[in-house]
Amino acid sequence: MMKNVAFLSATVAMLILSGCSSKEPAIDATANANGSSVGTNANANGSTTGTDSNAVIAPVTNANANDASATNGTNGSDGQLVSILFDYDKFNIREDMQEPMSKNSALVKDKAVKLEGNCDEFGSDEYNYALGLKRANAVKTALVNSGANPDSITMVSFGEGNPVCLEKTQECWAKNRRVDFKLP
Amino acid sequence: MKSVLFFLALIQLLWGADATIEVIKGVEGPAPIAIEDASPVSNDLSQKFSKMLAADMNVLSLFTVDESYATAPFDALNPAANHKNAQYLLRYRLTNDSSGGVKADIKLMQNGMDVFLKSYVLKQSEMAVFLSHAIAYDINGKLGGAPVEWMKRKVLFIRLSGPRRSDIVAADYTLSYQKVILSGGLYGFAKWANREQTDLYYTSLSDYKPTIYKMNLMTGHKDKLIVSDGMAVCSDVSEDGKKLLLTLAPNGQPDIYLYDLTTQGKTRLTDYSGIDVNGQFMGDGSIAFVSNRMGNPNIYSMRPGSSAVVPLVYQGKNNSSLSAYKNFLVYKARENGATFAGNSFNLHLLSIDSGSIKRLTASGENDFPRFSPDGEAILYIKQEGSRSAIGVIRFGVNKSFVFPLKIGRIQSIDW
Repeated sequence: MMKNVAFLSATVAMLILSGCSSKEPAIDATANANGSSVGTNANANGSTTGTDSNAVIAPVTNANANDASATNGTNGSDGQLVSILFDYDKFNIREDMQEPMSKNSALVKDKAVKLEGNCDEFGSDEYNYALGLKRANAVKTALVNSGANPDSITMVSFGEGNPVCLEKTQECWAKNRRVDFKLP
Repeated sequence: MKSVLFFLALIQLLWGADATIEVIKGVEGPAPIAIEDASPVSNDLSQKFSKMLAADMNVLSLFTVDESYATAPFDALNPAANHKNAQYLLRYRLTNDSSGGVKADIKLMQNGMDVFLKSYVLKQSEMAVFLSHAIAYDINGKLGGAPVEWMKRKVLFIRLSGPRRSDIVAADYTLSYQKVILSGGLYGFAKWANREQTDLYYTSLSDYKPTIYKMNLMTGHKDKLIVSDGMAVCSDVSEDGKKLLLTLAPNGQPDIYLYDLTTQGKTRLTDYSGIDVNGQFMGDGSIAFVSNRMGNPNIYSMRPGSSAVVPLVYQGKNNSSLSAYKNFLVYKARENGATFAGNSFNLHLLSIDSGSIKRLTASGENDFPRFSPDGEAILYIKQEGSRSAIGVIRFGVNKSFVFPLKIGRIQSIDW
């Protein structure tokens, strides 16, 4: 009987030890150490004796504000042109976008056009910008296949920087994954 | 009895594979510290300075910080009444100096004994938070803490303020100090041009074609560096500041280019027909970058002059941004297949030499990781809906800290 009790005790002890083995490194131990304050507009030319000679920032504002165009509702394209929408993380022209693409091709066939690729807000990295560019490039390829002159087409990717819809809904994000047509 | 033993033994066998013994040594927390204002006049600046020092002491992770405000004479041996339990006292005295700046006398005491004494002069009181960071840096050095050189650096970020509108902002790492240095257009990917942080590169998307500019922070003078159809980004600056890794897309194909600032010549490094972006200089002379050449974005490496491309990460199906420091990488990975809300992007640290991977963030949208120049910390963007925060992960103390931006969303950061 004593042997059984001893074995039982040992087994239970092993169970307790092995049952709490989840060990993760301390991650995201968030400490909001200091609230932020926005817009300190002083001429920032400061330094300290000792170690900090690193705090020199001169005031420079309002550079080239040469692009005053604003977004207009859910369609960011000029005139009768219609923006081409894309699926999440994709840059192929969808089946339902073929008809507006054909109409756009006819409207810009002999004109210079700027294609602006756009993305939803998920990711601000270069890959997201490249995705916007690949969308613009897919539209450019379709235009060229319809007879447009490739030299009359320029492209840019605005990434997530030019949304036409600012709500946090799937419908809104879908509107932002688009290529706009601009006539210079 | 036998059946009970058999059942317990069976459970033990099932769990046995993962069994480890965790020994937790009972130790006391870090020594308590209190901060005391010894300025002749307790005013708005001197009271704010107490909060700044408390924030920095928290980030140092050497102390348990008592954040309560108190005043005390600079040379008093005893703490203020509400700081009786503090082992360390950090006392500061702010006075106006003869040249219109602020003089700060700093004293750190341990159980009544002086361990650190220094005076500083701040020319502009608006930058008091940088003074606080310098004090924290010095105290950390005195007490032998893990390196915090990054604490004194200026953080550069792009703040999206509306459709086609953004600002380039210089700040301290807590965002307490913010200074708009360029506004009025759509900008992206601001990056320091040198270690001294005197110049920066940025992309203007307000020009007819994407254009990379180099700008001097003191004079505001801007030089047009390069123009490309589609996309133009300065992804990385070499340690000596003489070479750049750019993403350009002259034919609609985003590829990585090496740009030599001395010769002003550029060399195309990748020619894949999909997406190649985010080039980063590695410690061994190779280049790490993001490519979708296997269908999904992932991290690869190559050597300039060679066409061989090698994957560096074998985990995850969507690794879309990275930062490199010598033979370490930190990259962003999408954790699940959700396409919209609820999606999770986490940062992972990879040691190229050992192949080990450690997850650095637990949840949420974590983006745009950037190693500090000394590799001791990572700066990153934490997106929370329409708001952003800046996160700092310190490897030396295994902690992270988040500082929210009150207005706008951050597109890119550098330090």
